[in-house]
Amino acid sequence: MPREIITLQVGQCGNQIGMEFWKQLCLEHGISKDGILEDFATQGGDRKDVFFYQADDQHYIPRALLIDLEPRVINAIQNSEYRNLYNHENIFVSDHGGGAGNNWASGYHQGKGVEEDIMDMIDREADGSDSLEGFVLCHSIAGGTGSGMGSYLLETLNDRYSKKLVQTYSVFPNQMETSDVVVQPYNSLLTLKRLTLNADCVVVLDNTALNRIAVERLHLTNPTFAQTNSLVSTVMSASTTTLRYPGYMNNDLVGLLASLIPTPRCHFLMTGYTPLTVERQANVIRKTTVLDVMRRLLQTKNIMVSSYARTKEASQAKYISILNIIQGEVDPTQVHESLQRIRERKLVNFIEWGPASIQVALSRKSPYVQTSHRVSGLMLASHTSIRHLFSKCLSQYEKLRKKQAFLDNYRKFPMFADNDLSEFDESRDIIESLVDEYKACESPDYIKWGMEDPDHILTGEGNVTGTVDPKLAV
Amino acid sequence: MEEEDQRKILDLVKELVHRLLSQNPNQNPNSPDFSSSLRYAIRILQSRLTPSVSIDAAAIAEAVKRRLATQGKSSQALTFADLYNKFASKTGPGSINNKWAVLYLLKIVSEDRKSAESAPGSTFLLPNLGLHDSELSDDTRVPKKDDTGWNNGVLLVTMDPENLREIAFKEFVNLVREENEVSEEVLVRDVLYACQGIDGKYVKFDADVDGYVLPDAVKVPRGTRLMVRKLCELGWLFRKVKDYICGSMDRFPAEDVGTVGQAFSAALQDELTDYYKLLTVLEAQAMNPIPLVSETASSGNYLSLRRLSVWFAEPMVKMRLMAVLVDKCRVLRGGAMAGSIHLHAQHGDPLVRQFMRSLLQRVCSPLFEMVRSWVLEGELEDIFSEFFVVGQPVKAESLWREGYRLHSGMLPSFISQTLAQRILRTGKSINFLRVCCDDRGWADAATEAAAAAGTTTRRGSLGYGESDALENLVAEAAKRIDKYLLDVMYTKFKFKEHCLAIKRYLLLGQGDFVQYLMDIVGPELFEPANTISSFKLAGLLETAIRSSNAQYDDPDVLDRLKVKMMSHGIGDRGWDVFSLQYDARVPLDTVFTESVMARYLRIFNFLWKLRRVEHALIGAWKTMKPNCITSHSFTKLQGAVKLQLLSTLRRCQVLWDEMNHFVTNLQYYIMFEVLEVSWSDFSNEMDIARDLDDLLAAHEKYLHSIVEKSLLGERSQPLYKSLFVLFDLILRFRSQVDRLYEGIHELQARTKASSLPTLDKNKSRRQTIDNSSDPGSWISDGRKALTQRAEEFLRNMGQELDATAKEYTNLFEGFLSQLPLQQHVDLKFLLFRLDFTEFYTQLHSVI
Repeated sequence: MPREIITLQVGQCGNQIGMEFWKQLCLEHGISKDGILEDFATQGGDRKDVFFYQADDQHYIPRALLIDLEPRVINAIQNSEYRNLYNHENIFVSDHGGGAGNNWASGYHQGKGVEEDIMDMIDREADGSDSLEGFVLCHSIAGGTGSGMGSYLLETLNDRYSKKLVQTYSVFPNQMETSDVVVQPYNSLLTLKRLTLNADCVVVLDNTALNRIAVERLHLTNPTFAQTNSLVSTVMSASTTTLRYPGYMNNDLVGLLASLIPTPRCHFLMTGYTPLTVERQANVIRKTTVLDVMRRLLQTKNIMVSSYARTKEASQAKYISILNIIQGEVDPTQVHESLQRIRERKLVNFIEWGPASIQVALSRKSPYVQTSHRVSGLMLASHTSIRHLFSKCLSQYEKLRKKQAFLDNYRKFPMFADNDLSEFDESRDIIESLVDEYKACESPDYIKWGMEDPDHILTGEGNVTGTVDPKLAV
Repeated sequence: MEEEDQRKILDLVKELVHRLLSQNPNQNPNSPDFSSSLRYAIRILQSRLTPSVSIDAAAIAEAVKRRLATQGKSSQALTFADLYNKFASKTGPGSINNKWAVLYLLKIVSEDRKSAESAPGSTFLLPNLGLHDSELSDDTRVPKKDDTGWNNGVLLVTMDPENLREIAFKEFVNLVREENEVSEEVLVRDVLYACQGIDGKYVKFDADVDGYVLPDAVKVPRGTRLMVRKLCELGWLFRKVKDYICGSMDRFPAEDVGTVGQAFSAALQDELTDYYKLLTVLEAQAMNPIPLVSETASSGNYLSLRRLSVWFAEPMVKMRLMAVLVDKCRVLRGGAMAGSIHLHAQHGDPLVRQFMRSLLQRVCSPLFEMVRSWVLEGELEDIFSEFFVVGQPVKAESLWREGYRLHSGMLPSFISQTLAQRILRTGKSINFLRVCCDDRGWADAATEAAAAAGTTTRRGSLGYGESDALENLVAEAAKRIDKYLLDVMYTKFKFKEHCLAIKRYLLLGQGDFVQYLMDIVGPELFEPANTISSFKLAGLLETAIRSSNAQYDDPDVLDRLKVKMMSHGIGDRGWDVFSLQYDARVPLDTVFTESVMARYLRIFNFLWKLRRVEHALIGAWKTMKPNCITSHSFTKLQGAVKLQLLSTLRRCQVLWDEMNHFVTNLQYYIMFEVLEVSWSDFSNEMDIARDLDDLLAAHEKYLHSIVEKSLLGERSQPLYKSLFVLFDLILRFRSQVDRLYEGIHELQARTKASSLPTLDKNKSRRQTIDNSSDPGSWISDGRKALTQRAEEFLRNMGQELDATAKEYTNLFEGFLSQLPLQQHVDLKFLLFRLDFTEFYTQLHSVI
């Protein structure tokens, strides 16, 4: 019962970061590009069966579903050196191959259309695991397929596998540059609603911040997608180390997430990683002690989510929870010392309505991957400043919505047929209440918050009950 | 002139003698008495005898004065001092030249008079002239003589003054010969006999006096008697030693002599042999006449009693020592005996030291042989239990701890306690290797050690006095054997691996394994303890191993992992009795003894309980996980109910957060501050451990630190109790959460059912009531009832949660407040973690 996790990579972005993720996992577990265990990979201690299963011929096959509505990225994967890694039955490319045209509604609608095919694949994977822990969805929230179809999948999974965890790695669009996708705010908003309601945990990967980090921290003048994606894969693989290298604690996803997410609605996590490297880049070798690593992880410049907060608001922002996953050879006594330092220097602001602390998980490092630094660390944190990201999404949406721009593309699809734009309004309400809840978390009176206006929080799908599967969670 | 002086003096002496004797009425100047007295006096004057005092007039005067003063005649003392001053100051013609002599004479005369007064019947002024000895009572202080001998002597004196000493001696011999009933030769022979423990003609052993004596009947001078008695001490000592030797030889096969005693006897016997030799020589010499100083004089035999006493001086010292040792050692055996003899060897006299040394060399050789064979071969060749290492038959697992011990009574004082410990451990190591590890490789190590120490492994190569060599041998052997033993423990018996396995499985370090075990065993454990089949649990354990990374572990390790059901009472659930155990097996059971395993078991139980609580909390989180409530269903609920639902959920979440914070941080504390830190200390100590004792100590320290730090120690008892109350509360909370969410889901389902005009086939009680009330309008009625129902349910749950929260806060406050009282410094780390944001400190200060 390895607590299997099935990865769904949806859309162009999802498949790209997914591919990077699997590359990284193969490296760390000593699995060749064909899925064969390398000869040197005998040191064990790692658990491959969380993310891989073994075929009859000893091939390690990722528990991954590659889904896209257009064939470009998936074809690239199938023509890459990793083509033999994946189970070909797990690759879904829509027949027409026309994609979703960066339209959330199109992706959502198409998702509904191919639900049966995809659910068959998911069921097959689920049946193939002893004790399925949950799903990980990789997607972007800006485009069409990842956001729209991803949203549909989230709803379906929530419904059909209500007892299983659903975690997403959601790439948020770069807000700094003008996107080629003009309807990005619409797509983001609609997806955010699903992320809020139907996912258990969302790891926010903010392209803006990733770019900034690539430029500022890695000194790349013009970071490519491949480079930012490798940052993402680093984060993804690091956040799963405790699952893959079992230790005393945090050996399953639920254990990992439970402490991170004490308030169910506030389940958006920020990440930070240090020291960062990118392939083929000469690195300055830095001194890495536990304290160094933990301190750097708390610096905003290393956080992979941009904070759009103004200074005053930023100072109000508080951590709801922090988990540092430290990899490498670490003397356990250093952990305590580092925590003491951090507390003495008051480097962290925690919520005031409940007890909190920095959790530290020590994890082994893959013996097969050589790194120049002794210790590396990943931070997963729930921080209230993330609300500013959502506010930004909201304000961009408002701007677009006020102009009534590009709505025709959406009206073509059943959800928005007959000019029924209530889905937008509802999504907006939900995101607004999410922002409010995060804001409330900054005050010591969070416990009493919302009592006077319950509609804010429990705003549901309203009158669109028809779109939801009648079988409800029991 | 000179001649005249001479004559004058002679006349004066004559006159003096005449005066002295004339006090006696029946004397006349021409009697032979007178002439002989005169001759005697002349001889004394010619003999150049000097008084034994220094020639110092002032000192004598002072002495006289002091005597007078002490006698209380202070006035006389003053008078004397006055007189003396006058006397001393007189110089010039007519005064006395030899003032001190005059003083001395006066003093002697006065003293003589005094003693004569105290001795009734004696009226002579100069009794020490001794002219009338024969007529005085038998005063033995002065040798008796008769006229004949006297004449002879006087003649010689007058004729040949140079021959004075010889003549005096001869005179003395004749005197002695004539006075004694037994001749000296006979006495010498008797003494020689006595010194061999045989009764002589006269000198016989007297049991009453406990010694050799001349019977009183035999008439000999008292001096001779004394001398005989003194010389015969040797015989008495000899008897004693001889008795001991004979005794221990006879008793030899009996246990109480032992090899050391035997060696001692043999050494004594050798000494006696030397002694016999001496006696033989003496006996032979006894018959030889003494080489004479003068050809003319006849003499006695070579050996006189006095000569004998000179000859006997050295044997006497030795014999006396031996006798003392024999006395001391009569009740001692083995090492104790050697130690006791050693105590006597610490002597300033080189003779004694030398003698004791050679004796000890013999005595200790069996002992050292035992040490040698013990440290090099692990053999306890000690049939008489003389060695300071004592073995006893024990089971293999307690061989190390109880199999051998030091017998301090048998530990000779020349072997230090540390050395003894080392010796004990080395042999123990060999035996441990032999018995428990079934290993033969130590022999090489032992040979190497012996080679390195410079001695061969032959027997008898060590002796007393070579304590450096012994120490060296022991050190070399210990170093190699211990190292070898540790090697065997580490490589052949994989000690570290097993420690790690215990940490992984009994201390739950292998998280994935523990999780699966919890998952699959958990449901079973809710059953009453007596209905649970441990067979089934064993199967489940197997499954957990196979499905976790434990499967890659050494099969030997996995084979030792067992399910153990502790003894259970009535009403115990499986949770209370389930535990894991690790089968240590020989030789590791020396480290992992039953009591050690019992402590591991306690730690396991604690950690297992902690895990169970964590599991329960995570389970609770799963029921309330973010996407579990699809909230649209509640839109139709009344605002008030919604609010109620919201507040109940929030309360539940916040309480969960608090509990989870506690449990998680306790876990982190256990992991970092307790298990990992202790383990890393232990690993380091394992690396530097030099012998099994070090290893045992390191392990003990490791275990102790875990027990203490995880609140299992004696001191933390109250803390531990409140911890368990907290745990139980959390477990109760979990079921509350389950009920709450079950209720909410039901509500959800029902709301939906009521909002849809399809008949739900749910057979719940509520539904039936709803249906039965009025089938026609049940939707509206049902909703109303539903709302009521929901309100009531939520109110109840809310109250329950409030109660739980309150209880939790109280308990937790109590727990926290006890923490700073704990002695263990690491518990402060726990407080630090639990109150990282000072949430509780502030809470406390607000209250």
